[in-house]
Amino acid sequence: MMRITRAAIPALSRGITLIAVMVLIGLLPWISGRDPALSILRARMGDQNPTPETLAAIRQQLGLALGPLDHLWNWLAGVFRGDFGTSWISGAPVLPGLVQALGVSLGLMAAALAVALFVAVALCWPTMRRGLRGRDTRSSGVVAACLTALPEFMLSAVLLVVFAVWLRWFPPYGWHGAANVVLPALALGLPAGGLLGRLLENAIAATFHERWIATWAVAGFGKGQIARAVLRRSLPALMPQIGMIIVAMTGGAIAVEQVFSIPGLGRAVLGAASAQDLPALQAGILLLLVNALFIGIVANLIRIALLGRALEMGAMPVPQVLQAAPSRRLWIVPGVVSFLMLVLVVAGLPRDPFTSEYIRLQPPGLLLPLGADGLGRDVLARVAHGAVSTIGMAIVVTAASFVIGIGMGLMPRLAIGPIEVTKATPPTIAALIVTAAMGPSAVGAVVAVSAVAWAPLAAHTAALVTETRAQPHVQIAPVLGVGPLQLLPRSILPAITGPVLRHAMLRLPGNALALAALGFLGLGPKPPSPDWGLILADGLPYVERAPFAVLAPVAALALMSVLGVSLAALSRR
Amino acid sequence: MSFLTVRDLSHSYRGARRMWGRAPDLPVLQSLSFDLAAGERVGIVGMSGSGKSTLLRCLMAMGRPQSGEIRCNGRLVVMGRPASLRWYRRVVQYVPQDPVASLEPRMTVAQLVAEPLRRLRIDCDPQSRAQEALESVGLGSQYLSRRPDELSGGQAQRVAIARAIAMRPAFLMTDEPVSGLDMTVRAQVVQVLRDLSQTHGTGIVMVAHDISVVAALCSRTMVMEHGRIVEDRPTSEILKAPHHPHTRQLLEAAPPLVAAA
Ligand SMILES: Nc1ncnc2c1ncn2[C@@H]1O[C@H](COP(=O)(O)OP(=O)(O)OP(=O)(O)O)[C@@H](O)[C@H]1O
Ligand SMILES: [Mg+2]
Repeated sequence: MMRITRAAIPALSRGITLIAVMVLIGLLPWISGRDPALSILRARMGDQNPTPETLAAIRQQLGLALGPLDHLWNWLAGVFRGDFGTSWISGAPVLPGLVQALGVSLGLMAAALAVALFVAVALCWPTMRRGLRGRDTRSSGVVAACLTALPEFMLSAVLLVVFAVWLRWFPPYGWHGAANVVLPALALGLPAGGLLGRLLENAIAATFHERWIATWAVAGFGKGQIARAVLRRSLPALMPQIGMIIVAMTGGAIAVEQVFSIPGLGRAVLGAASAQDLPALQAGILLLLVNALFIGIVANLIRIALLGRALEMGAMPVPQVLQAAPSRRLWIVPGVVSFLMLVLVVAGLPRDPFTSEYIRLQPPGLLLPLGADGLGRDVLARVAHGAVSTIGMAIVVTAASFVIGIGMGLMPRLAIGPIEVTKATPPTIAALIVTAAMGPSAVGAVVAVSAVAWAPLAAHTAALVTETRAQPHVQIAPVLGVGPLQLLPRSILPAITGPVLRHAMLRLPGNALALAALGFLGLGPKPPSPDWGLILADGLPYVERAPFAVLAPVAALALMSVLGVSLAALSRR
Repeated sequence: MSFLTVRDLSHSYRGARRMWGRAPDLPVLQSLSFDLAAGERVGIVGMSGSGKSTLLRCLMAMGRPQSGEIRCNGRLVVMGRPASLRWYRRVVQYVPQDPVASLEPRMTVAQLVAEPLRRLRIDCDPQSRAQEALESVGLGSQYLSRRPDELSGGQAQRVAIARAIAMRPAFLMTDEPVSGLDMTVRAQVVQVLRDLSQTHGTGIVMVAHDISVVAALCSRTMVMEHGRIVEDRPTSEILKAPHHPHTRQLLEAAPPLVAAA
């Protein structure tokens, strides 16, 4: 009996988590506390003053005078019938339009995947060649690191400005033909390809260092055979990470669609969020989640097929163990980047980011080093204040995700459902849910990113706990009279806090970028906050006349990305 | 009247999980039964992997055996809440196979040895009792504030022994307490165990690969092979006339010193 219940815990945990997510999405209209009748009236009849009678009539008409449970039940029953409700704005069923949008998004994903694969192969090619010739296989990985460092929303903005606005090689927006696909696919595929290539490259290089390669070469195996064997050996271990990269792409696609005005699912959902069209938002979030979960599951199945057996609970993807004392030289890049960031903040913090003191789009000058933005505000001041608020929020996210990650990682069986679902949820989707529930805000962005940022830390904690529990000095604990609860402060917490804290700190720049992306998409702090994402979004329309209003936040974001990648590289040695 | 009775003890480890279906069980202990009398000194020998450490872990109730029962003075020993086994922990203590790794790396020697005295609520002054136990294994007060990584292998071994004997247990289970030590330290450790047995009447179970160590300390020897006890007789008889072929193999493999002993 005991054994059966223990074995059932992970399955139960997964099931309950999925149900909880469904309930959360189903209750969004109710949680948001928004009166749908009011929204509908505004959308259909403009600013007419609503009388109580008209509101009641609309409520009656839509069956909206229901409590939360009836509401939830109606929605769930509808979902199982394939009926996702009707839009509050247009009054039409929401599903057909969203399915069409999903088709567009999948097309974009496919193109981006092709780009990513091409980039990854190009990055691995030299390593493979060197390995087959029997030379040293290490490569610097600088190109890959640079590609990885670019968040999609920023890369989209840069590509749009350079290739569509300045060079006019490609159309800036729309989804009509092949020319429309190029820039979005690059924006989405380049970072993913960089990451993929880096992982593959490292794995291949490591495989070439194994002894059997030399044996095979001496035994006269052909280069093709060896190359195939090396791939077969290197790929399976990477499958979970490859799955996570593709899942992350579904989140990145939302930003890319928004920048290039592609009529995909992400843009549709963002539109629904800003129009407060909750039925469309619910359906869209559900589709995005199903899409991401589906990708996660497929990656997992491929890995199981390649590895030949499933991994035990204790063997969740073990992150690289962070080792102490890396060489001094590796600290140069993060050090320089931190210093530049500090200079920016010190220079801009005493200035005023909110008042429109200058001429709109005033060019840079001695007194105004980075010019003024479209409202005549000091760009330097805005970027500096943005650094403080974005990094401050990222610190809060890091602390929260550290605490949640440790807590969840201490009970991996129970937490397996939340961990898996959270891993399959890009921050943007989490932010859509939070925004639907409480409107866009800085607090909402922090909540959304924290809600997903803990998952890798929990997985790390779980791996460390398993490792620690297997150690003889923990195994002997019962003999010494140490109970399971006393074991936590005695042996387990001291062994895991250090490494997990370091891991959490390494993710701080990534959290800052995720927060900036939310600001950019209108899911974070509201104007006039000097959030980096908002500054970039504000500057884009005026990029030709005031490039600094775009370049400054892009440079700040790029610094943050480089910081993230160089710190992550530190941990890998 | 026997101190510890073991009946039909079986244990198996779960094998690697298959893609479909459940993991196969790997039997390690197969229906063992024996008695240990109070104050007895028993050696357990057998080849690597024969299940000696697993047997000791089962005797220490560190894992739940598949089947069978262990009684101490007639009282059933089952794994459960820590408090419910406190009585057993007080009378039966344990020195694990890898003593260096069995010491919590963040604690000092003094804390390590005093810990079970506190946790198991032994009625004494833990600090002075710990110091006393350390002295009896030849570790003076200069070691009290060291941490495990500042000890040599033999010193850590002796700290683990001190931790167990500070409890003044009625029985001490030691898993290869002298392997990996050089000859002089080896003799010293065997002497500590013999003194313990002679002055306090402590019973000792000692696991060893090497039959010569058992011969130096134990009056009774059990020979294990593939999870079974294939021979269980007074040590002197086994040395003179081994019954089981496996015992003969073990004797032949042992250094010539045994023959003299
Ligand atoms: N945690 C475990 N999981 C699975 N199998 C195990 C585990 N511990 C031990 N075994 C297996 O059980 C068998 C007995 O192991 P045990 O450690 O009891 O042997 P031993 O007689 O103490 O050997 P040695 O003399 O090398 O210490 C071995 O085949 C071992 O591979
Ligand atoms: Mg052993």
